[in-house]
Amino acid sequence: MATELQNVDLKTDEMIINMGPQHPATHGVLRLILTLDGEMVRHVEPILGHLHRAQEWQGQNRTWFQYQALIDRVDYLSGMFTSWAMARSCEQLDGITVPRRAEYLRVLVSEMNRITSHLLWLGTYLIDLGAMFGFPFYPFREREKLLDLLEEIAGQRMMFNYIRIGGVQRDPKADWFQRVKKFTDEFPQRIDEYEAIVTENPIFLKRTKGVGILKQSVAKDYGVTGPCIRCSGIPLDLRRTKPYSVFPELKFDVITYDKEGDTWDRYMARILEMRQSNEIIKQCLDMIPEGEIMAKKQMAGMRIKAGEGFAAVESPRGILGCYVTSTGGEKPFRFRWRNPSFCNLSVLSELLVDSPIADIMAIFGSIDVILPDVDR
Amino acid sequence: MISNGNEIGKLTLLSIVWLTIVFVAVWMVTWAVGILLPMILSNSLGEKALLINEILCFITPVLSILVFIPINAMFMVLIERRALALFTVRKGPNIVGPDGYLQTAADAVKLLFKEDITPTGADAFMFTLAPIVFFAPSIFGAVPLLAAVTNNHALFQVLNLPTGIFYVLAAASIPVVALVMAGWSSNNKYSLVGGLRSAAQAISYEIPLVLSIITICVLAGTLDLVKITQQQAGGILNWNILGGGALSGIDKFLAGTVTGQPVGNILATCYPFSGLSYLAVGALIISTIIAFWLYLTGACAEINRIPFDLPEAESELVSGYNTEYSGIKFAIFFLAEFTNLFVVSSIATVMFLGGGDNPIPVWILDSIAPLKQAVALLNDSFLVQTLHLVNPETLFSTLWVILKVYSLVFFAILIRGTLPRFRIDQLMDFGWKRLIPLSLIVFIVVVFARGLVICHG
Repeated sequence: MATELQNVDLKTDEMIINMGPQHPATHGVLRLILTLDGEMVRHVEPILGHLHRAQEWQGQNRTWFQYQALIDRVDYLSGMFTSWAMARSCEQLDGITVPRRAEYLRVLVSEMNRITSHLLWLGTYLIDLGAMFGFPFYPFREREKLLDLLEEIAGQRMMFNYIRIGGVQRDPKADWFQRVKKFTDEFPQRIDEYEAIVTENPIFLKRTKGVGILKQSVAKDYGVTGPCIRCSGIPLDLRRTKPYSVFPELKFDVITYDKEGDTWDRYMARILEMRQSNEIIKQCLDMIPEGEIMAKKQMAGMRIKAGEGFAAVESPRGILGCYVTSTGGEKPFRFRWRNPSFCNLSVLSELLVDSPIADIMAIFGSIDVILPDVDR
Repeated sequence: MISNGNEIGKLTLLSIVWLTIVFVAVWMVTWAVGILLPMILSNSLGEKALLINEILCFITPVLSILVFIPINAMFMVLIERRALALFTVRKGPNIVGPDGYLQTAADAVKLLFKEDITPTGADAFMFTLAPIVFFAPSIFGAVPLLAAVTNNHALFQVLNLPTGIFYVLAAASIPVVALVMAGWSSNNKYSLVGGLRSAAQAISYEIPLVLSIITICVLAGTLDLVKITQQQAGGILNWNILGGGALSGIDKFLAGTVTGQPVGNILATCYPFSGLSYLAVGALIISTIIAFWLYLTGACAEINRIPFDLPEAESELVSGYNTEYSGIKFAIFFLAEFTNLFVVSSIATVMFLGGGDNPIPVWILDSIAPLKQAVALLNDSFLVQTLHLVNPETLFSTLWVILKVYSLVFFAILIRGTLPRFRIDQLMDFGWKRLIPLSLIVFIVVVFARGLVICHG
């Protein structure tokens, strides 16, 4: 009798919840169809495409020059990297050698951009975890300083259009470098401040330790890149594993863990990456040579030689690739983007199963997905 | 170094101006209905006015609460937004009115004029009832607190109850029913999860909350809020947070020594078992401080504030139980939330922090001559003697209560500006595995230690 009672299936009804596309914490317009058993998630189905803007198709209908201005919008938090990926693929195709000063400027501004992206992630991630008001605004303070510096050279806060095919748009004034230097000097203290509040906070530890463990095999299968896969024990950082630009001349290590990372590790990796980027900026400031900054004339009728080119850069979210086909005309024939957010997001359905509903945001936030980057 | 002293100054000025507005308005209404009107009536009508005056006597406290709640909530929302802005290197609302003083008044007007939507498939009756059930307890539940926080003022004595604190706690546990009602009737899954969470949370956290209050009741030997405040009179050493009156013997001893009066065997009377008694005093002090902390934690969870704001966890459940509410119904939820914050802070003030008592021991105050003269001058003035506009004792008591209550409110805002949110299972673990055993231990320690000391002796 007792065993019979134990075998009675006490399963309760599952509830299907539609989370998004309008939801305060889905970072834009992601839609998740969740099957909940009480508070536990049993099945997740991400539905994409709400922010599809035909970025690739638009490339075929604009000139090279026009499309350059457009692609910052693909990943609006790290516009430098999308510009850079496109510029590199076109340069490869056209056989342009970028001046060394331009290469250093590219590394400089893109690492600054990486810090702004990670700072915004840090703030919003804390919001995802429920620290709605206190901490999240502090990273924005530093982000504003960096964006002001970037605005000064690019003319825009986020849609920079600074890195162009063949070089960079403008040469900054001498005192701009000094102000960047000043920022890099004080920035490590600011990160210390954030860490003092967040890293060892007991509630933060409870919410993130052991949550959303990304197994190495799963990460490989889904093509996860960026800090997420580095936390899972695979040292994949294009700046080191397939060096481009002037990265071979700069000193830094790939930040990686030997174990299978949880959300706390992904938080820690980004904090370390910010410190690392800061060091790279310092090195660039010391090493930057004088000289030309542009190797190709920027004009409306710009043409790229016929052929195919592919180039990838290490964006804050992972490997950002740009594949371009040109027929030698005024307009590109075809663009194809390899966006890190898309691949990173696809692993979500593996990570979320059998976790409580509150962990959805802890895990989803830790992957650092930008929805325009997913849907293009 | 304080780099934002200017902003802190602005915040302080805002608090002082708004608090003056709130309490002057409330007192003017109370005085007009409770003192001036009966005075005029009895002068003109004589005997006939007796019945009307009796009725007015009951209306006055309720009226004062009804005037107080909306203005106070406006102030609290404003101060919360400004303080959070201060903590987070922002400006906060500073456009509407002088330096943003009228922002929340404008918000309230906006909310009242918004369309009142009942979602399709909602249980309309329950949907309307929920905000009322949520709000009503904060009106009638706070009534017994009035006499305690005004130093037992004659106008508020009518509503004092011998079982005051239990009545307040019973009233404070009603809103959870409303949250479940709101969650269920909204026909929204987020609301439903939010409502169920709030039920689970309130049940878990009410136990440590009530146990910590019971600890104080055991020490005080009464449930009457006025008696509890009166026991704590005479300086910080008598307050319940420091041993629940276990230090009052030492207080008396010090008073006697300082003023030069014979102390006799006060210490022997209050601490009859010498060494063991002093050990008990130490245990009581630690226990009551833990009880205070338990109360604050339980209260934070009870009124759904960060880090326990799971029922309305924005990043998970959109807005939890009040997702579907808009317009005046949402305004009532909003109003009640802030009123509840005020009420739990008031309970903490009355139960732990001596109510309207000032923290400086009374034997130090008595030795300052100019202070006594000033009070005497005020006592003899026209305002007090003829118009009964000010009752000095009530005035000072209320000022201290305001200071203490808003310090606790500010503390809650500070916590909101610092901590992330718990997860529901961690919340339950924390409640059942940590807080409840701890509160039981504190309770047992207090029960035994109390026998060794004469509290409030």
